[in-house]
Amino acid sequence: MSIYSGKDLLKTLWAWGCSLKLAIYIATAATLLIMGGSLIMHKHPEVFGPIDQMLMRDWLQGAWRRAPQLVWWIPASGFCLILFAINTFCCLIDWLIRIRSRWRKTGEYLIHSGFIFLTVAYSWNAVDGFRTGPHPIYPGEEFNLEQMPDYKIKLESFTPQLSETGRPLDMFNEVSLWQGDTELKRAQIRINHPLTFEGLVILPTSFGRSLNGFRFHMPGKGMIDLTGGSVLALPNGGTFQALSLLPHVVKSRNGQIIPAGDQVRNPAMEVLINYPDGRDWHGWYVLRERIPQPMVEAGLFIRPVEPIMKTYSLITINRDPGSSVALIGAIFMCLGVFLAFFSFYAKRARGDRPEY
Amino acid sequence: MFKTLLILLFFVYFFSVLGYLLNLFIPRLWFVKCSLLLVSSGVVLQTALLGWRWWEAGYLPVTNLFSTLFFFSWSLALIYLYFELRYRIRATGLFVMLMNLILLGSAIPREAQVAPLIPSLDTPLFTLHILFSFAGYAFFAMAFSIGVLYLIQNKRQTTHLPDKNLLKRINEEAIFLGFGLFTICMITGSIWAYIAWGYWFSWNIKSIWSCLVWIFYAGMCHAKFIRRWQGSVYAWLSIAGFAVVLFTYLGIGLLLESNHPLE
Ligand code: HEM
Repeated sequence: MSIYSGKDLLKTLWAWGCSLKLAIYIATAATLLIMGGSLIMHKHPEVFGPIDQMLMRDWLQGAWRRAPQLVWWIPASGFCLILFAINTFCCLIDWLIRIRSRWRKTGEYLIHSGFIFLTVAYSWNAVDGFRTGPHPIYPGEEFNLEQMPDYKIKLESFTPQLSETGRPLDMFNEVSLWQGDTELKRAQIRINHPLTFEGLVILPTSFGRSLNGFRFHMPGKGMIDLTGGSVLALPNGGTFQALSLLPHVVKSRNGQIIPAGDQVRNPAMEVLINYPDGRDWHGWYVLRERIPQPMVEAGLFIRPVEPIMKTYSLITINRDPGSSVALIGAIFMCLGVFLAFFSFYAKRARGDRPEY
Repeated sequence: MFKTLLILLFFVYFFSVLGYLLNLFIPRLWFVKCSLLLVSSGVVLQTALLGWRWWEAGYLPVTNLFSTLFFFSWSLALIYLYFELRYRIRATGLFVMLMNLILLGSAIPREAQVAPLIPSLDTPLFTLHILFSFAGYAFFAMAFSIGVLYLIQNKRQTTHLPDKNLLKRINEEAIFLGFGLFTICMITGSIWAYIAWGYWFSWNIKSIWSCLVWIFYAGMCHAKFIRRWQGSVYAWLSIAGFAVVLFTYLGIGLLLESNHPLE
C-alpha cells in the first residue's frame, strides 16, 4: 500500500465523517430503532421498569441476560447516536478549520457542540456514578454512602406538609452531607429542590411511618411508653426489657413468632425479664393476646393503649459524574439557538444557502 | 362566562376560516382582509382569556388536555399572524386556521376548571418547558400546513395560493424556528427532570418520543441543504414530522400510558 493510498483513505474517511447525507442516514436509523424500541419497552414493564433506577450499564447487563431479544435496540441505537455524535464532531472540526469565512454559523455550531457534550455526558453517566434509593432515613439518623465510603448524609429534621384532607403535598428535609468529620453542604431539600454537590443529587422521594413503640397503661403508674430497648424496674426487684417490636406477626404451628408485614395489625414485643432471684425469661408478648404468664409473675399488668409511630423520609441519592458536561452542552445549545435565530435572518438577507 | 367567551372565540375563528374559504372560490381582497381582522381579534381575545386563566390560577394553566389544546391553539394563531404579517401569505390562512379550529373545537367540550398546581409542577422550569414545547409544536403545525399547501400548489399551480418558492421558504423557516424553540423545551425539561428525579433523561415513552421529535426536526434542518430533497420531499417530511408530534402530544396520552409528569 503506497503512502498516497493511505492519505486517500484518510481523506475518504474524513469526507464520510463530514457527510451530511451519512448523518441523516444514521439519524434515521437511530430514530426508527428508538421508535420501534419504545413500543417494545412500553409492552414489557417487567424488563424495562427499573431502567431509570439503575445505571444504564448495570441495567443493560441484567436485562441482556434475561431478554436480549427485547433490549438489543438500546445498544444498537446508542451505537448509532455515538456515530452521529462523531459525525457532528467532524462537521464541527471542519467548520473550525474554516471559521474565518464561516463565523456567521457560530450559532449553528454551538448547537452542534452542545449535542456532542450531551452525548459524552450521557455515555459517561451510563457507565459511571450510581443511583440508589429510595432509602428510609429517620430524623437525626445518618446514612453512609456505600459507593463513596467516606461520605455520609445526615437527616437533621423532617417535616411533611399535608393538605387539609391529609394528602401529602411536600416534604421538608433538613439534610447535611459529610465527608469524614467535615460538613460539605447543608440544605433544605423538598420537591424540585435537591441538594447537589459535585455530581451528587440528594432528593426526597416520599415518606412513611413505621412502628417505633407502644403506649401502655400500667396500674398505679399511668401511661408508659415502651420502645425497642426500653428498660423498666420491676415492682418487686429485677428488670423488664422491651428488646424489639414488630408491627405484624403470625404464629407458626409450633408457636414460633414470624414477622408478617409493616402495617400495624398484630403487633408483638420481644421481652427479656430478669427476676430478682436471678432467673430470666426471654419470649414474645403478642399485644392482642393475653399477657404471658412470666410477665404476670413479675407483676407486670400492662395494657396496650396505642402504637407510637415514627416518620421516616425516603431519600434518593444519585451521582451522575457527567452532569456538569451536560449542563455545558445545554448552555451551548441555548446560546446557539439564540444566535442562530438572528443569523438565520441575516443569512437569508445575504442570500446564503439554501436560497438558491 | 369563560365558556361563553370561548364559544365566541370559536366563532371568530370560524368566520375567519369562512372568509378564507370564500376567497378561494370568489377571490376578493375584502374577504382576506376581513379574515385577517377576525384572526387578529381572535388572538387578542384568546390572549386575554389566557391571561385571565393565568391570573386566576396563579400559574400558566397547561396541566390538562383542555389547557394544552387551548394554549396550542393560541400559539398557532399567534404564529400564523407572524407569518401573515411578515409574508402576506393570505389564502394559506385557510388551512392553518382550520387546524386551529379543530384544536379549539376539541378543547371546548372538555373540563376547563383550573385545579391547584401540584408541588412537583410548581417551578418556572415547568412553565418554560411547556411554553417552548407548544411554541415549537405550533411552528411544526404551521410547517405541516405549509407543506400540504406546497404539495397542492406543486400540482395545481393556482394563483390563489402563494408562490411555491415562498411556501418552501416559509416551511424551512417554520421548521428552523420550531426546532430552536423545541431545543429549549428539551433543555428546560431535562433540567427539571434533574432536580425532580435526579437524572436528566428518563426512559419514559413521552420523553423518548420528545427526543424523536427533536432528532427528526434536527434532521429536517439539514435536509434542506440536500438539493434533491428540497421542495416536495421536504413538504412530505413536514407532514410526517407533524404525525410524530401528534403522536407525542396526543397519541401517547390517549393510547398508551406514561409516567411522564404531564401524563
Ligand atoms: C443532533 C445533531 C445535530 C443538530 C442538532 C444539528 C443542528 C443544526 C442546525 C439547527 C443547523 C442550522 C440549519 C439552518 O441554518 O437552518 C445545522 C446546520 C448544519 N449542520 Fe447540523 N446538526 C446536527 C448534526 C450535524 C451533523 C452530524 C452534521 C455533519 C455531518 C451537520 C452539519 C451541518 C451543516 C453542514 C449545516 C449547515 C451550516 C450552514 O452552512 O448553514 N450537522 N445543524
